[in-house]
Amino acid sequence: MSRHGYRYSAGKLLRHGLTRGAWPRMWNRPERRDSYDVVIIGGGLHGLATAYYLAQNHGITNVAVVDKGYLGGGGSGRNTAIVRSNYLTPEGVAFYDRSLHLYNTMAADLNLNVMLSRRGHLTLAHTDSALRTMNWRAEVNKLLDIDSAVIGPAEVKRLTPSLDVSPNTRYPILGALYHPPGGIVRHDAVVWGYARAADHLGVHLLQETEVLDIICDGGDGPDGKGPGGRVTGVRTSRGDISSPVVVNCTAGWASLISNMAGVPLAITTHPLQAAVTEPCKVFLPTVVVSGSLHVYVSQTDRGELVFGASVDPVGTYRVNGTLEFTEELAGHVLELMPGISKMRLMRQWSGLCDMTPDYSPIMGHTPVEGYLVDVGWGTYGFKAGPVAGETMAETIATGRTAELIAAFTIDRFTDGDLVGEKGAAAVGH
Amino acid sequence: MSSNRLPIRGGELLDRSTNLSFTWNGRAYSGHEGDTIASALAAAGVEIFSRGMKYHRRRGILTANHWDPNLSVQVGDEPNVRAGSRRLVDGMQVSAQNVWPSLRWDLGAVNRLVGRYLSAGFYYKTFMRPQFLWHNLYQRVLRKFAPGGRVHWKTGTHGEYDKRYAHPDVLVAGGGPAGMAAALSAAEAGASVMLVEQEPELGGHLRWGGPDDLAVLADLNRAVHSTPGIEVLCDSIVTGRYDHNWVAVVQRNHEIAPERLIKARVGSLIVAPGLVERPYVFAGNDLPGVMLAGAVRRLINLWAVKPGNRAVVLSANSEGDAAVADLESAGVEVVAVLDARAGEDVVGARGRGRVTSVQTGDGRTLKADLLVTATGWTAPTSLLNMAGDRPVYDRIAARYFPQSLPDNVLVTGGIAGDGSTTELTAHGRETGSLAAQRALRLRHDRLTQTPRSATPDSALPAAIADNRIPLRRSPHPECYRSTTHGLVDYSEDVSSKDLIQATGEGFDSIELMKRYTTVTMGPGQGKLETVNAAAVLAEARAVEMADIGTTVWRPPFSPVSLGALAGRIFEPVRRSALQNWHETNGATNLLAGQWVRPDHYGDPMTEASNVRENVGIIDVTPLGKLDLRGPDVANLLDLVYVNRWQKLEVGRVRYGAMVAEDGVVSDDGVTGRLADSHYLMTTTSSGAAAVWEMLEDWLQTYRPDWEVHVTPVTGGLTSINVAGPRSRELLERLVENVDLSAGAFPYFSVRTGTVSGVQDCIIWRIGFTGELSYELHVPSGHALHVWESLLSNGSDLGVAPFGIEAQRILRLEKGHYIVGQDTDGLSKASTAGLGGLVKLDKADTIGLPELRAAFERTDLPVLVGLQPDDPMIVPDEACQIVEAGSNEILGRVTSSRMSPTLGRSVCLAQVDPSLASAGTAVTVQLVDGRRITATVQEHHAHVDPEGARQRV
Amino acid sequence: MIVVPCPNCGPRNSSDLRNAGELVSRPDPDTASLTEWRSYLYLRENPAGWVTETWYCRTGCRRYFTIERNTATNEIRDSENS
Repeated sequence: MSRHGYRYSAGKLLRHGLTRGAWPRMWNRPERRDSYDVVIIGGGLHGLATAYYLAQNHGITNVAVVDKGYLGGGGSGRNTAIVRSNYLTPEGVAFYDRSLHLYNTMAADLNLNVMLSRRGHLTLAHTDSALRTMNWRAEVNKLLDIDSAVIGPAEVKRLTPSLDVSPNTRYPILGALYHPPGGIVRHDAVVWGYARAADHLGVHLLQETEVLDIICDGGDGPDGKGPGGRVTGVRTSRGDISSPVVVNCTAGWASLISNMAGVPLAITTHPLQAAVTEPCKVFLPTVVVSGSLHVYVSQTDRGELVFGASVDPVGTYRVNGTLEFTEELAGHVLELMPGISKMRLMRQWSGLCDMTPDYSPIMGHTPVEGYLVDVGWGTYGFKAGPVAGETMAETIATGRTAELIAAFTIDRFTDGDLVGEKGAAAVGH
Repeated sequence: MSSNRLPIRGGELLDRSTNLSFTWNGRAYSGHEGDTIASALAAAGVEIFSRGMKYHRRRGILTANHWDPNLSVQVGDEPNVRAGSRRLVDGMQVSAQNVWPSLRWDLGAVNRLVGRYLSAGFYYKTFMRPQFLWHNLYQRVLRKFAPGGRVHWKTGTHGEYDKRYAHPDVLVAGGGPAGMAAALSAAEAGASVMLVEQEPELGGHLRWGGPDDLAVLADLNRAVHSTPGIEVLCDSIVTGRYDHNWVAVVQRNHEIAPERLIKARVGSLIVAPGLVERPYVFAGNDLPGVMLAGAVRRLINLWAVKPGNRAVVLSANSEGDAAVADLESAGVEVVAVLDARAGEDVVGARGRGRVTSVQTGDGRTLKADLLVTATGWTAPTSLLNMAGDRPVYDRIAARYFPQSLPDNVLVTGGIAGDGSTTELTAHGRETGSLAAQRALRLRHDRLTQTPRSATPDSALPAAIADNRIPLRRSPHPECYRSTTHGLVDYSEDVSSKDLIQATGEGFDSIELMKRYTTVTMGPGQGKLETVNAAAVLAEARAVEMADIGTTVWRPPFSPVSLGALAGRIFEPVRRSALQNWHETNGATNLLAGQWVRPDHYGDPMTEASNVRENVGIIDVTPLGKLDLRGPDVANLLDLVYVNRWQKLEVGRVRYGAMVAEDGVVSDDGVTGRLADSHYLMTTTSSGAAAVWEMLEDWLQTYRPDWEVHVTPVTGGLTSINVAGPRSRELLERLVENVDLSAGAFPYFSVRTGTVSGVQDCIIWRIGFTGELSYELHVPSGHALHVWESLLSNGSDLGVAPFGIEAQRILRLEKGHYIVGQDTDGLSKASTAGLGGLVKLDKADTIGLPELRAAFERTDLPVLVGLQPDDPMIVPDEACQIVEAGSNEILGRVTSSRMSPTLGRSVCLAQVDPSLASAGTAVTVQLVDGRRITATVQEHHAHVDPEGARQRV
Repeated sequence: MIVVPCPNCGPRNSSDLRNAGELVSRPDPDTASLTEWRSYLYLRENPAGWVTETWYCRTGCRRYFTIERNTATNEIRDSENS
């Protein structure tokens, strides 16, 4: 047994193959306790990573992760699995670079192959103003030691031959921000990796347990909620659980959960849609993003093209998707790669994004003592998952806001100090 | 090549007078009109059509329809074509996919040797170390095994796809007997009906039925085609139902477009897709020669193909029984019929490349080359899922049924229950009437709700209750898995053993299991697999099927080509009335937002110099222009601009900057007062639409009491800037009724006059370039005349056109900032240097509290003029200003150019306030990593900071 | 593609309009505290249910109007504020 439980390896595959022996469970379905040191709401990547780092880095293991559905059923399993660190602001770069670092060693750290593919990430520029923004990002990135540069159309064509870089298209490709370490990961495996490791360290993963209320004491609002108060536990569909620390990791549902503690958020919930084609033999080697065309695309190892876009313009909690998303998506993809019109779109889906005014998260302590948030992840929560978990765990364990997230605290909306990612994040993938 | 073609069958679809030639893996074959690719090949004796995804086992016909997972083929440059439904076309080049070197000898089959190690999720459990090998070797190998056909991205073109909008009262998804009956009764009730059928002909399962079925079908066909108000779309699929009954149909039988996307706003949607037969899970269930009952019935009756010679039939229902009769009529020897209703079972099929024997539940081994299973149905509830329904499992009938549907979605036919053809059509008719009546009420409502639309000529149809007699649910044995293990998902090569393993590992909900094993994630999206997967999970967890739930079926119902979704690509550009002139006179274009405009006409530096020395003209039409009229315009301007407007006199113009409610600079421009209650506002080119909408918002929702009319005139007025020391001289030759002298027409003034015979031109004196200049706003119909007059009347003055690049050089020399380039998403008015402009003592202006707060802060960046100490170095825009000895970022160059006037580089930069005072030396890191020094200037303007040149 | 009822143009596809978000009331900018102002700027109810919101009839009559929409179902009903 390793520290993460049953150790996976090629040898184990051989042995199980020969003996046809059963594999052990990756995680358990434990009986809930009445009280925990920390209750994390949301069994997605952020919640599970926070739990894992609490246990692994700080020895805090009396932790429950509660989720109304199954593990990774929200944005963690619906995103397009892109990782990168070529952000615009120094605080953004430092944060996501740490995340990319954690992704790089994750397979070994968690003893689960998360299939990281550092295949290179291209953000196309179709206008000179977009090219200027790419230059800006590249220059900031270089100063912070991020592998990132602006390349011309010929180099774009060399890296990704299926792109049409001819100058007379409606949206000519004038260049691209090239980020070689960027790539894709098997998103579900990341969730399972953290779940398995956290479970083994003693964390309780309570699936199908819906939080109905956050129990507070001493606050300005009704029922002791709101600023000035403190959290004492949560009311769930399986009974009350007491805990001095409650962490909100619920992405698109963040406002609903936060209102239970009397802490309103600078968040609106919008669906982000994605789609996948039928598999075809692999021809697309990089991750390609076009901000102007609101599209990003990569090809999985199974041969499917995975597409994403920008969030739907109309806020809603509905995740059943729209036809117009697929229409616009197809039109824009064919602008970039006219030769693939006969590929077929096989499935579309959507997830809920918690959008903030400055395209940056809201993390750390709140005016209610013991109630912490890790929300506002918008469209970039997946790539931030590991570092968000690490810094939230540090913030919970030490009581002090981790340095990497100092720019992302909730006070910035009352202080007027918003983060400057907005300029670069129209399509942030 | 043996022939399995039977003598003529009563209901066959073939036109035997035709002969269509095609190739399969390079060999010549032929078939008839009416054949599918698969039926033509099967008739010619082909048994193997593909290889499994993981283990590359040989695969033959399983379902012989659109959902057959084994019949994905490449046709020319089109990958993943469903050979089970795609009709044969003369000249098709068909080949097998994902095999190497050939379908017959496929190297991928070596995977079978290691199959026992390739259990569910095996790849998650290995290749973790060393990472080097994962990135450089393992992953590349895995990618080689990706399934599917080849996309011809090098030679492919977008093609001629098309779209259509439709507004049927009733749309019927599925043209079987119930759907046809529903369409008929809906049309008879006065509804407009669209009847959509996936197959090339109507009839559903009646098509492969006996003489009675064919007679009913003929009657229905006659009625459907003779009843007015029914549009029949065959070879077309309803692929999605979205909110508010927005329904997507992909039409494949259009005469020109290969696929056409029809977007229909539907009053009532009737879902009548019938049922999808599901495979049975047992050892060897993917061997060629194992077929579903529906497959053999279709092969025999529709395409006159003999599916085998010696058959064993496992039957749990009437479809299986009918298959026995069909097989016998086709001369197939039926070795045994195993009745699942009586507990008989199949536990295995064996053979190399094709079934040769069948093991029965009671221990017999039967020699056979065909094993037919009829073990039950999957209700294809995709469209119902999309309408919010979560179908529930009925263990008596052994399938799922709809639970709760919105009023505008109804079901009929097999998805709703069982019955004889008469019962199904009766239910269809009742459903059609109900759907029509609901839709007609909706149509009536919509008409009455629409102001100014014609009032409906009839009264609101009365609401009627849903009194349909429900179809019964016939008992059916729960046949999912035999006592042995076999494939659950054919396209993903996932077996029941894999699913049980996954359950044991904790992936014990249907969604987690799906994600871990990839079951139901292939091209069929679970049409065949979902129910069996749920059954295996229920078995593994020892719970009831009903407690498992199913995965949610997402759109589309069947995959849709990107070409069809895109339709004709229609992304227009905006062109000024002068754009043709520019293009015939050597302009190099630039795309700027929606506009295409001249970047330059050859040499921007010369163009810029000519403006400084003589006179240049530039087409600035994309500049946003809003005509404002009414007594309250000044109040509106006071609200939306940071400065004051009440005292602007008629004939004067003023610069104004806007911020948003959060205090961030959002737009700027010049506004002139043309008459007492008449102003012209200009905005940035990219902000034109947003500013217009914003003005409307404030006027309509905040100050509806103000009387202001806003009319966008951006394209209606062509804007020409005439700039340079000789601009006045040039204009004096063309302007008739305006005194252009400095005294009569001073800087920042506006006049309306006649230019080159064109009346009502608005002329204002402003100076973006820093030179004496006049901006002409000319009615666009006469713009070319004015433009050409300027050129022909000024040749002795050196007049020449200049483009955007020259304008950028000139404005930068002059230090004019551009919103969005020199400012960003956080820039406040203080950063942009608007301290002198902003009036903080107004009672109301957009963003007022943030404006006040911004001017109290001392830590916000400052926009400054900057000059590199080496005058020949032009740092690229976006180069960072850093602390000399570290990588700490202290600002950035926002604009930079070589100045032809000064012969040196000039910049604007945002810097930390500590660096903002004139004379401060800063360090700029160039793109190549070199660091240079530069000096902060006193003014933004590098040329003529006093403004003497523009005020002459 | 949902249908949004414009009071002038009747029921229209939502692509003909622009959603301008949850209806919020603007404090008096001359007297509001920064905290009040920033609540107005940034904080949103964001309910999973009925919300009063503004739409702009972008390609039709150019009217701004409010409706109530259920963000959990996309049902739409008239607003008392319209």
